Amino acid sequence: MKKIYMTCRSVAVLLLGFIVISCQESFLDREPLDTVTNEDFYQTSEQVLAATAPLYNIVWYDYNTSASYGIGDARGGAMTSIANQMDNILFRTNGATEENSNAWHSLFNVIGQANAVINDIATYTSASVPESTKQYATAEARFMRGLAYSYLVQNWGAVPIITNNAALLQDTSITRNTVETVWEFVIRDIRYAAKTLPTAAAAEGRLTKYAAQGMLAKMFLTRAGISGTRSESDLDSAAYYAKQVINNSGATLLTDYEELFKMKNNNNSEGLVALQWIYNGTWGTQNSVQSYLAYSSDITSFSDGWGGDLGASYYLLEKYVSNDKRRKATFMYPGDHYSYIHQKTKNAAGDDIVQELHVPQNNGSNSTRAWIKKYVVGRPEDNDGKVLYQRTGINTYMLRLADVYLVYAEAILGTQSSTSDGEALKYFNAVRLRAGLTAVTSITWDDIFEERALEFAMEGQLWYDFVRLHYYDPEKAYTMLSNQERGYYTITPVYRNGDAQTYPDPIDWTVAVTLSQKITASASNFIIPIPTTELERAPNLKKEPVPYVFD
Amino acid sequence: MRINFTQNVGRGRLYRMLPVCLLMLCFLNAAAQQLISGRITDPSLGNGLQGVNVQVKGTTAATMSDAEGNYTIEAKPGDILEFSLAGYTMQEMPVGNSTRIDVGLEEDISSLAALLDVVLVGYGELKRIDLSSAQSSIDVDAINYTFNTTIEQALQGRAAGVYVTQNSGQPGGSVSVNIRGINSVNGSNEPLYVIDGVQIAPGTVPFGATSSADPLAGINPADIDNIEVLQGPSATAIYGSRGTNGVILITTKRGKAGEVKVHYGFQYGLQNTPKQLPVLNLREYAQLRLDQNAMDGIASPVAFQDPAALGTGTNWQKELYKTAPLMKHQLSLSGGREETTFYLSGEYLNQNGIITGSGFDRGSLRLNIDNQTRKWLKLGATLNVSQTDDKLTATNENVVLNALRIAPNVAVKNLDGSWGGADAINEDNVQFTPPNPVAISNLIQNKYRRRQMLGGVNADIDLGKGFTFTTSVNGNFGTGNSVYFMPMYTLGEQTNEVASLTSTDVTSTYWNWNQLLKYTRNFGVHELSIMASHEAQVAQAKTLSGTRVGFVTSNVLDLNVGDSGASTNDSHQSVWAMESYFSRVNYIFNKKYLVQLAMRADGSSNFGAGNRWGIFPSGSAAWRISEEPFMKSIPTISELKLRAEAGVTGNQGNGGTYTPMSPVSSPWGSGFITSQYGNNTLKWEQTTTYNVGFNLGLLSDRIHIEGDFYIKKTNNLLMTNPIPDYMGTTGNGSIIAPTENISALENRGYSFTVNTVNMDQQGFTWKTGFNISGFRTKITKLYSNSAIVDRVSWYMNNFTQRAVVGQSPWQFYGYQEEGIFQSVADINASAVPLGTDGNRLPAATNGVWVGDTKFKDVNGDGVINEKDRTFIGNPFPKFFFGMTNTFTYKGFDLNVFITGSYGNDIYNYARYAGSNQANVNLGLNVFREDLNYARIGTDTEGNPYVENAGTNIPRLSTNANGNNIRITNRFVEDGSYVRLKNVQLGYTIPKALIARQRFVNDIHVAIGAQNLATLTHYKGYDPEVGAYVGSNVAAGNQAIGVDYGRYPLTPVYTFSIQVEL
Repeated sequence: MKKIYMTCRSVAVLLLGFIVISCQESFLDREPLDTVTNEDFYQTSEQVLAATAPLYNIVWYDYNTSASYGIGDARGGAMTSIANQMDNILFRTNGATEENSNAWHSLFNVIGQANAVINDIATYTSASVPESTKQYATAEARFMRGLAYSYLVQNWGAVPIITNNAALLQDTSITRNTVETVWEFVIRDIRYAAKTLPTAAAAEGRLTKYAAQGMLAKMFLTRAGISGTRSESDLDSAAYYAKQVINNSGATLLTDYEELFKMKNNNNSEGLVALQWIYNGTWGTQNSVQSYLAYSSDITSFSDGWGGDLGASYYLLEKYVSNDKRRKATFMYPGDHYSYIHQKTKNAAGDDIVQELHVPQNNGSNSTRAWIKKYVVGRPEDNDGKVLYQRTGINTYMLRLADVYLVYAEAILGTQSSTSDGEALKYFNAVRLRAGLTAVTSITWDDIFEERALEFAMEGQLWYDFVRLHYYDPEKAYTMLSNQERGYYTITPVYRNGDAQTYPDPIDWTVAVTLSQKITASASNFIIPIPTTELERAPNLKKEPVPYVFD
Repeated sequence: MRINFTQNVGRGRLYRMLPVCLLMLCFLNAAAQQLISGRITDPSLGNGLQGVNVQVKGTTAATMSDAEGNYTIEAKPGDILEFSLAGYTMQEMPVGNSTRIDVGLEEDISSLAALLDVVLVGYGELKRIDLSSAQSSIDVDAINYTFNTTIEQALQGRAAGVYVTQNSGQPGGSVSVNIRGINSVNGSNEPLYVIDGVQIAPGTVPFGATSSADPLAGINPADIDNIEVLQGPSATAIYGSRGTNGVILITTKRGKAGEVKVHYGFQYGLQNTPKQLPVLNLREYAQLRLDQNAMDGIASPVAFQDPAALGTGTNWQKELYKTAPLMKHQLSLSGGREETTFYLSGEYLNQNGIITGSGFDRGSLRLNIDNQTRKWLKLGATLNVSQTDDKLTATNENVVLNALRIAPNVAVKNLDGSWGGADAINEDNVQFTPPNPVAISNLIQNKYRRRQMLGGVNADIDLGKGFTFTTSVNGNFGTGNSVYFMPMYTLGEQTNEVASLTSTDVTSTYWNWNQLLKYTRNFGVHELSIMASHEAQVAQAKTLSGTRVGFVTSNVLDLNVGDSGASTNDSHQSVWAMESYFSRVNYIFNKKYLVQLAMRADGSSNFGAGNRWGIFPSGSAAWRISEEPFMKSIPTISELKLRAEAGVTGNQGNGGTYTPMSPVSSPWGSGFITSQYGNNTLKWEQTTTYNVGFNLGLLSDRIHIEGDFYIKKTNNLLMTNPIPDYMGTTGNGSIIAPTENISALENRGYSFTVNTVNMDQQGFTWKTGFNISGFRTKITKLYSNSAIVDRVSWYMNNFTQRAVVGQSPWQFYGYQEEGIFQSVADINASAVPLGTDGNRLPAATNGVWVGDTKFKDVNGDGVINEKDRTFIGNPFPKFFFGMTNTFTYKGFDLNVFITGSYGNDIYNYARYAGSNQANVNLGLNVFREDLNYARIGTDTEGNPYVENAGTNIPRLSTNANGNNIRITNRFVEDGSYVRLKNVQLGYTIPKALIARQRFVNDIHVAIGAQNLATLTHYKGYDPEVGAYVGSNVAAGNQAIGVDYGRYPLTPVYTFSIQVEL
């Protein structure tokens, strides 16, 4: 008996021992060491504004890097190639096209992050944060969300409207919402921003009331046609908001168009909305387009510069008159001289040298290219060192004053065949005069369209101009697109007295089509197929879209 | 950790204490008997024998000798003691009146006699015959026949159920080890390694520069004493949440009392180059280019216009690979006195790679000490210090694929001695020509140095009456420094003008404190052993990295030398902690009926307060039928045991309860972005496994067969939810989808091991070990039935591996080919892609034409587009096996080791990439098979036809059809193989020859060949492909079974000498 007692006692002692060595409850409380959590954030105004800052860069990265010009310029017919972006250039963008899925997921990332900020501000913000800061940040987020939805609706038509991702993560029943209600959603978001944002930005480059008003004008202009005929009230709204910006924002056109696309001129007087890239920041906060667009590593100094096969389309080239200053700022012709970009090349002795860029003749096998210049900023030494491999810091314009001028002119023109409205002419001509062209006294829709194509080439705009047209005049859009020359061409410098040696700077160029390539546009091209994998995993997207029910 | 001395026992704690409460069983107390002690020795060596089973004959009363051979047992004067140990002849001694009985056991070389071995199990050890759970032992002696840079390499083919593939053949390259199938969809599938008590779970692959390095590289395989692979649920569940992927227990050598033994080993080897793959030489390349250009209607460069006048050009494979040496010195001392023993070893290993820019070096030092401090107290310490140096350029820069693809007209070096590269002969297309792979592997420096200190101390306290208490503190401290330097270079027209250096430092610490109480006692025919334990562990890691550019020198690789203006930096930290209570009861009745019950409670910091604790119970039972009287009449059956077991293991994942905000750069300072959706309801992943098995010994165990069948069902699978992109969860700036517990998967499999002594007479022995196993994995549930988990390799033309419900994960996803079009009628009757106008491509030379690839219209819509992709291959084998044959005769020993795999598919991406004839215009080479492209002729009726009928290589074309561009089943190859992994012939110098001197006791010399021959239909270098570890890999997105130009394993010829002083 005693033995059993002893055994039990020793067991009890040992058990006690285990209890003593147990860890404290807090032993298992391990918060992340290298990140803050949303619950602990939003305690100060600075933190609230830090939460919306990423909406100006990283969330747009995947759209900006390939889709912005792949859809905006290649599909629109401004850019061509024989090897890259072929689905877009040949108008066969499909469910597996890379730029399609990049744009799709990137735009939804903008929306997801905007929703997270909007909801977290409402949930977690400390009472000490002023209401005005909360409103400012919410307005920024709603602006970005509305802008992302505007790209979505213009490319894919009906898409699902999501305002609280966190609550819907497990929801498998999400379906698309109608084009009309998506547009209404866009207008509401951006109008909220236009109403809420102050006239002065919280910091240089952040949104202002005028930025939102300008964007709202453009949204109204595009939405005006969605019923098939243009809505007068939307056109009026477009003109109204555009005029607000023109009259009150203080924004002015830069005198020299070429200056717009230098990194040192980020956030200049003409920019209204721009993505804000950091050349040496977190991956995804830099602008990478130079890597894809620059014709060679000679002008980037890194092993990027993969755009040797990309160039202006013939369609666009033939629109430039020879004194249009925008051409050289947008596309490089062989023989062009850029003093502010350097190139690596060989001198006569065969030694490597770095010199001011003299665009070489591109001796492609069966065509040449007018290489892309816009957003190509050159080497580190051309930009105070602010260039790295796949990284530059040049901002991407999402809206600049010239755009608002032309939106204004188009809104004023409205459904008339032409206009001589003094105000419309004033701003339309301001864009032309800056480009080195002459003023006109009357403008038609086609004039505005052409002007936009030249002014905004390689800014990812042309396709959306066609979408705007297609809403109310699809046949015209098909005809214009089907007549575009997207084929191969050669571009040959013409030298003074025909002498390239003595007079190396070309005075003109001859452009000749070598292989014609035209596409046939139809209604189906105006709805990009939702990426195939997305449709497979979310089959409810195939259902008929339903109207979005606003709160 | 703070220790709480005052806290009351709360309710939550009580239920966690439940396993420990099992101890509350009060035990019967055996009647007092005479106490006998003694020492058991091996007379030939004089050292004590550990683990000798000492048993009172005819009863179940038994004990085991300790490390010095000492034992104590109670017996009556009339009893007889039986002394048995595997590999030794059993001996009987009458007790009489003695209280001390010393015994010398003679070695028994005629029998496998492995059954009485004591084997390691989780947190303890058991006699092999008493195992009731599935686990396999790896023959450490056999491992030593092969040259293993790292320990995982040693596992291949050695144990049933363990599927090992080397991800990269580079020296020290990482290895995939899968035990019993695929247990996780986007987490790690690597097992838990327990090295002398230190738990190491290799995580998912590190991103970027160091992705091909091996996390266990610091361990010297020569120090290993024992490897046990725990597979059955009853064996692994004692590791609870860390046991799901299987557990590999490794113990290192320890000293034995006696004269100090000095052992020196030296190995030297030569690694051969691989057999070259057939790519075009310059003449063929030029001809194909002429043909292609003629077809395109463009002029060919002058240099190519007369192929006959050209030489064969650069043979890039010959230039890339070179024979490389490897060598290893190993020195160890072991011995000690009765109370203190030690094992001290040092190693230096140096292995160059067959490609410049690869290589592995290791220096390591180990000290294991045991001390019997008091009669009741034993202390032990282990310490392993190592430094490894990896060169990772070759794998990271993809030079193998580039050497297959770069055109033969490019020179390795120019006449002036500078590196060659794509030049103007390729016109404006230099951007598509791969950079000179030989130059790249020389120029880019990717070095990874790791230092590791791994070890611990433990104390065993004998509390008497069968109770022992053990406490141990183990730790693993590591630092790693990765240096990635890209110099300025000019390779033809490809240049890098700005040098950059990225330096990354990683510090990781892990500690584990365990307290374990054990009670072992035999009561007549009842044998009982109870263990209860508490454990706490914490792991932390910190990474700091920086990048600068603008280096003007390649000589000094330090950030300091770069331009401080253009610098970037980054840092990360992570931590997890776990606390556990667990207990196990082993009960044996009459040596016949074995039962093991265990329970573990784990609390993990990776979950929210309400979901922290997971309970992992397990149980197993075995019936040793051979001990039944009715079986004794069948003398051929020496051992027959049936086993059944079930248990639950778990996985704590990588956290995900919080919604973290990550900093991202903005012009206004750091912005903060939501980086993942938190899930505060996250809980443990649970895998329930059922296993039945048997052990069968025949002919006095000359034949031993072991078989197991299992079903593993994983529920609440921790994985990132594969929700649609519209939730904003894909790509840069996305909010990663939450980690959820929604999914489930299932593994079914089997494994068999057969060990035989085929011959044992007149000094000649022949033993065979064979194992074979297979598994099938099926995903049974994702968050929706249409959910898809894709692994898309953007760097491999978006090669996709897909996991969906109802299928094995990570099958290749692509198009199916149905030959090539033979006639216009064939085209018109088939589905074809659409043209730019939305209509069928016309049957024309610039549309779809005779000689174009005919793709299968999988969805039957009459159109070939991305919707026709389907599953085209499965990277996992149907079964895999290993076989060892060992022959000894007099002083000679011969070991032949064969491994193999059957039924796995390989996507030969290298062949796919080298299949497009049009690429010759881009400075890219193609495989020779592509010369057999469809030649289109016109028959007498004017209809086109394929002249070289039977070819499946499409014609030269402008390629509207997408020939050679789509990922198709043409490049899915059978990856089955049988490999003569190792042959080694050794000779022990006869004692008589060395007896005249007194310095050397033993000399063994051997020559061997590794990877000597491989039987396979696979067309690439090497059918052992593993997982992608190149520079673009991301955790959870590793391509599996895709040959992207994997660094091949090649024959290695070795010489070794082992000397014992």
